[in-house]
Amino acid sequence: MSRIQIGLVDYGMGNHASVVNCLKSLEFRCKISDEKTILSKSDLLLIPGVGAFPTAKSELHKRGLIEYLQHEAKLHKPIIGICLGMQLLAEASFEFGYTSGLAIIPGEIVPIKEPRWHIGWNTLEIAQEDPLFKESDGESFYFNHSFVYQGPREYQIGLTDSMKSFPAIIRRGKTVGLQFHPEKSQESGSKLMKRLIEGLCNA
Amino acid sequence: MLKKRLIGIVLVKDGWAVQSFGYSKYLPLGKPECVIENLDRWGADEIMVLSIDRTRKKLGPDFQLLRSLGKLGLSTPLIYGGGIDSVQNGIDIVRSGADRISIDSMLVSDINQVASLAEQLGAQAVIASLPLAILNGNLNWFNYRNKQLMDFSEKLLAFMKEGIISEAFVTDYRHEGYPQSFDEDLIQEFPIKEIPLIAFGGLSDSGQISNILNRNQVSAIAIGNFLNYKEQSLQLYKESIIHHTLRPSIYKQSYSLLDYE
Repeated sequence: MSRIQIGLVDYGMGNHASVVNCLKSLEFRCKISDEKTILSKSDLLLIPGVGAFPTAKSELHKRGLIEYLQHEAKLHKPIIGICLGMQLLAEASFEFGYTSGLAIIPGEIVPIKEPRWHIGWNTLEIAQEDPLFKESDGESFYFNHSFVYQGPREYQIGLTDSMKSFPAIIRRGKTVGLQFHPEKSQESGSKLMKRLIEGLCNA
Repeated sequence: MLKKRLIGIVLVKDGWAVQSFGYSKYLPLGKPECVIENLDRWGADEIMVLSIDRTRKKLGPDFQLLRSLGKLGLSTPLIYGGGIDSVQNGIDIVRSGADRISIDSMLVSDINQVASLAEQLGAQAVIASLPLAILNGNLNWFNYRNKQLMDFSEKLLAFMKEGIISEAFVTDYRHEGYPQSFDEDLIQEFPIKEIPLIAFGGLSDSGQISNILNRNQVSAIAIGNFLNYKEQSLQLYKESIIHHTLRPSIYKQSYSLLDYE
């Protein structure tokens, strides 16, 4: 069992079971909580998420987690957001109106125009030199979303292509957003998660 | 490039995974967990679990099964359908471990709830399950609860056109379970061209599957019965289907041979 403990941010959205199973199979310790004191004891915060942006933002707000996550990011605590969790890291989203986000990574979440969804397995293309993701270049991951990140290129580490190229991985310092679901991407997802978590925690 | 998908279907009736023939005759396969675990191990692109008796028996979604699947630690995306009759059901299913939901009777009984579901979960999580048949040259939608054929409602057509539903699960319900019998006209005649389609029912032949995957509107094909006849049948299908956008077969080594001497 690894010494790295992961705090899974519980804000009432999405599918914790798959993420927890993935983390445990990689032998990471894992605590699911919305309590700041418990989350603060972890080495890395993971924000999962399936659903719509405004509901997610409202649930984070109800639990007083918005300022907490922004504060932890400023302290350079490693943070990973998955799918909706990645989108929450941005400044705002246009899903069902305009909703502000955590604003940890500059950029906005906008609808996919054509086609309207991105559902299924797609290839990851690493766009910037980053040792944490180098080995995942060209691998396939499972995506399931209808909104995408749009923001400065400097934060776009990985791209994918569906009619048009869009960001699949964004990173600012120790905060990383993954638009795909590594926990549902079989072996390629597990390997990426292991390298990413160990890389962020040991950096 | 976004790949087309091969989805493994598991039909569950009275708590058991079953083979179905035209949704009228059933043969038991065993515990659903075992069948689903195999599909996960074989590298299915998605797994769809349909609890086919939950709505008729008014039992609601099978949360016990979902909890049990949660413990398996599946690394394959999971779609669940069966017994969903409220928005809260849909939300709870996703919280219980499914990535997407397949809506069936709600499309008839209260389609407005489908829009609320899309608002809560995102449209990408919502699939419309449509048992269809071409009869007398017309495309008909089969209401399995009253066994009547019906036309698409205006609202359903609008929801599919406007993107409130992300994919339509087109089932050739008359040929389901019978080899090489899928009626390709169901795809050709589908009234809305903007929505991606998942084809299911009687798809067993690699040549026909390849042809269907070549259609632009088809995003995935789903196979049920025919995956149960051989070990690693999903990988064998992937190897025999000639389609450049299908994710290659994966053979997962669960146990390291180096551990054994």
